[in-house]
Amino acid sequence: MNRLAKKYLRPSQIPTKACHGCGIGMIENWLLQAIDEMGLKQDDVIFGTGIGCVGRQTFATWGGDNFGATHGRALAVATGLKLAQPDKKYLIVVGDGDAASIGTSHLIHAARRNLGVTVICEDNMGYESTGGQFSPTTPAGYVTNSSPYGMVEPGFDPCDVVKAAGATFVAETTATQWHQTVKIVKKALANDGFSFVHVRFPCNENFGAYALGTRDTLKNLEWIYEHTQGRKADGTDADFTWETGIKHDASNSRPEFSRLMRDMNARVKADMKAKQK
Amino acid sequence: MSTLAPAVSEQLVAPWVEWARRYTRGRRLLEAGTYALTEGAIAAGCRVFAGYPITPATDIAEYMSKRLPQVGGYYVQCEDELAGMHACAGASLGGLKAMTATSGPGYTLMHDAYGWSITNEIPLVVVDAMRVGPISGITGAPGQGEFYIARYASHGGNFETIVLSPSSVQEAFWLTIDAFNLAERFRTPVTILTDQVISDMWEDLFIPEDYDALDFVVPRKNNLMMPFYPVGSADLDVPPNVIGHGTGVCVSAYTHTEEGYDIEEMEAQWAQTYRLINKIRHHRDQLTRYETVGVEDADVIAVAYGANARTVKTGVLEARRRGVRAGFVRLITLWPFPDELFERDVPYVVCELNYDGQLVREVMRSAPDGKKVRFMGKSAELHTVAEVAAGLEGVARTGRIPELPYIWTEVR
Amino acid sequence: MTAAAKPRTEILISGFGGQGVIRMGQILGLAAIKQGHRVTMLKSHGTETRGGYVRAQLVISPDYVDSPVVENADVFVAFSAPAYKKFFDHCRGKILYDPEMVEDVRAEGPERHVAVPATQLAKERFNNVLFANMIMLGALTRLSGLDYEAMKKAMLEVIPRFHEQNLAALDVGYTLPALIPA
Repeated sequence: MNRLAKKYLRPSQIPTKACHGCGIGMIENWLLQAIDEMGLKQDDVIFGTGIGCVGRQTFATWGGDNFGATHGRALAVATGLKLAQPDKKYLIVVGDGDAASIGTSHLIHAARRNLGVTVICEDNMGYESTGGQFSPTTPAGYVTNSSPYGMVEPGFDPCDVVKAAGATFVAETTATQWHQTVKIVKKALANDGFSFVHVRFPCNENFGAYALGTRDTLKNLEWIYEHTQGRKADGTDADFTWETGIKHDASNSRPEFSRLMRDMNARVKADMKAKQK
Repeated sequence: MSTLAPAVSEQLVAPWVEWARRYTRGRRLLEAGTYALTEGAIAAGCRVFAGYPITPATDIAEYMSKRLPQVGGYYVQCEDELAGMHACAGASLGGLKAMTATSGPGYTLMHDAYGWSITNEIPLVVVDAMRVGPISGITGAPGQGEFYIARYASHGGNFETIVLSPSSVQEAFWLTIDAFNLAERFRTPVTILTDQVISDMWEDLFIPEDYDALDFVVPRKNNLMMPFYPVGSADLDVPPNVIGHGTGVCVSAYTHTEEGYDIEEMEAQWAQTYRLINKIRHHRDQLTRYETVGVEDADVIAVAYGANARTVKTGVLEARRRGVRAGFVRLITLWPFPDELFERDVPYVVCELNYDGQLVREVMRSAPDGKKVRFMGKSAELHTVAEVAAGLEGVARTGRIPELPYIWTEVR
Repeated sequence: MTAAAKPRTEILISGFGGQGVIRMGQILGLAAIKQGHRVTMLKSHGTETRGGYVRAQLVISPDYVDSPVVENADVFVAFSAPAYKKFFDHCRGKILYDPEMVEDVRAEGPERHVAVPATQLAKERFNNVLFANMIMLGALTRLSGLDYEAMKKAMLEVIPRFHEQNLAALDVGYTLPALIPA
């Protein structure tokens, strides 16, 4: 157990149940680094997850208060919780199924409300805990267990979706970008509003094995790295490029959701008092 | 002026009998059931409403949007009912009492959140104002199609539910406070299963003047230490868990340990189930609310709940006037089902607002002789007094319900 | 506790959407509550407000009202021809009808029919048909021997605006010569 894990996580719950070489544990370490560098304590952060690989592997690892929602509903739970506990930081760590498919309506509306949470969408480009089916973020043409002839559906970029919906901080990164990810997560947590960080990471057991033809962690990481560069190791162009980095930064530019609600209540109370007089 | 029945015994067993006796200073209004449900929630300390408007529960959302800010609470109009009930669960986990309100189409969308709230022992109140279905059916007409859905309000089994049903605007007010109290004490969501008639109907309503003075309201407490989940225990009055106080509580969808950690072991499944089922089953004496009329000497007993019980009761009195010794059982607590109200070995005539027959099956199960249980199903409109009286008279004199248009008697 | 004789008065008001049928019922119900009565009012809504009929069913009783359904109205106020036709059989008492809206009344029971030209009077006196419901309520108050002062008080509570005109309209109905016993 490293220093940060000792400081923030539960010894009884780690190592997690993740498969060998899974990126989830590594990314969680980076989150801890961001939290630590910001000087946050266990009690300052509420840790929420959903269902799937990301939910299952991260739930109850955080040493503070935890919730693991039903599939896709972490942001719906957080919407109510934030009203009751407005002063906490919220780290909502979910997968591509939670954020980009089954719970997208909550994602959009949390962004619209500027709900004060930081969503870390850890995207392994498919439904891996159920054995490797495609998701809305599976790249076009790639083979999964439910796209045996290649992914034919168009996908979408969840960063575009939340930006259009009103998110005040949007960034994209991958499991090959340690320092960039830590920097981005710190900025995301500093925004008193809706922050969305999209982090792609490899799944060796399913996406790696079926889409890329290898269970080798390094090879799968390399595939991700190549797509952040748009160029393969052999110098030829990659089939597509992920533009990582901060996509949109309007941090603290508009009031956070629970703040809006409390301000309205203060106004209503003042009006009631004025009428009584 | 109607001519009415001779005197007959009448009994109402519910905590609000005493509450109404003790609190008499207040306002008398002509208001709708939705208003009473809202004010009952506010009086009980509800500070969050999260939901999605749907006829005939929409007025609750509108009243809440006005009332909650006045008392420092929050109205959240969610993107759908899934979000609505999950947001309520989140608010309750954060320490605020919460409620949502819907109708059948929304109620079925809440079943994930319902199960999540059950397994995590989150106090909440859910109002389902039933209309006739299936699905959208007729939005402005009453139904009673969610009797079993409210019992099995989520998938996976291994739980009990608490379901109450008011039959007047005044009762909706008191019963809502009761529902919040039970939710707190039993650490579980409670459904108020009402219907389009009760929610839309206007009726005289007494509202006590000072909600803060209501000493029977169970306040929210916070559980600040282990065990967060007293698995293997049926204890009542365990304070609800709270997120945000640094207790390290874990809340999830999984079968859990007493810390809230996910676990995949038979023994843990047993202990969790023991908790979720027996905290309710072992305390049924604190849950059963009902009304009876003349059951002691009755030759035939009509059974109903909700709005429908209003005309059925008048029908029973009408049958008495015609010389039939008829009795009446009105269920207020629907679940856990009060078997003990059906101990007399007499014919029961179950009147409910569906043609498929739901409540009737439970009466058949609990009555000494299920073959003596008769069904009078109707849909989209309350039973008329004339229909009920004819049905009771028929059963008492000939052993059968006469043919009546719009009444179904078959239970399959 | 005993469920003994419970005298009840049933009132049925029906017309088109926008005629103020529900408002009438609301005022009537509140006035009864102010006098210590128990009251239920079922109101129809939904698609009926879009061209069909609107109906208010009131039951007023000194004790708790069990059935809120009006099956045998003591008074039926008919504000439209479809409403008159549809609910005629639900009434065994007086039928107050607006002759401008209900042109053909049934031959049976002429002594039960009372014509209250509310729409016509509203146009004549107030140049606005919206006051017809208050004229009708005034007439109903007189005919049913209800407390006029309580009705006025309830009206002022329920209706937010145009208090003077509404009071005047109520008075037009209450003082209709045809309703005052000789």
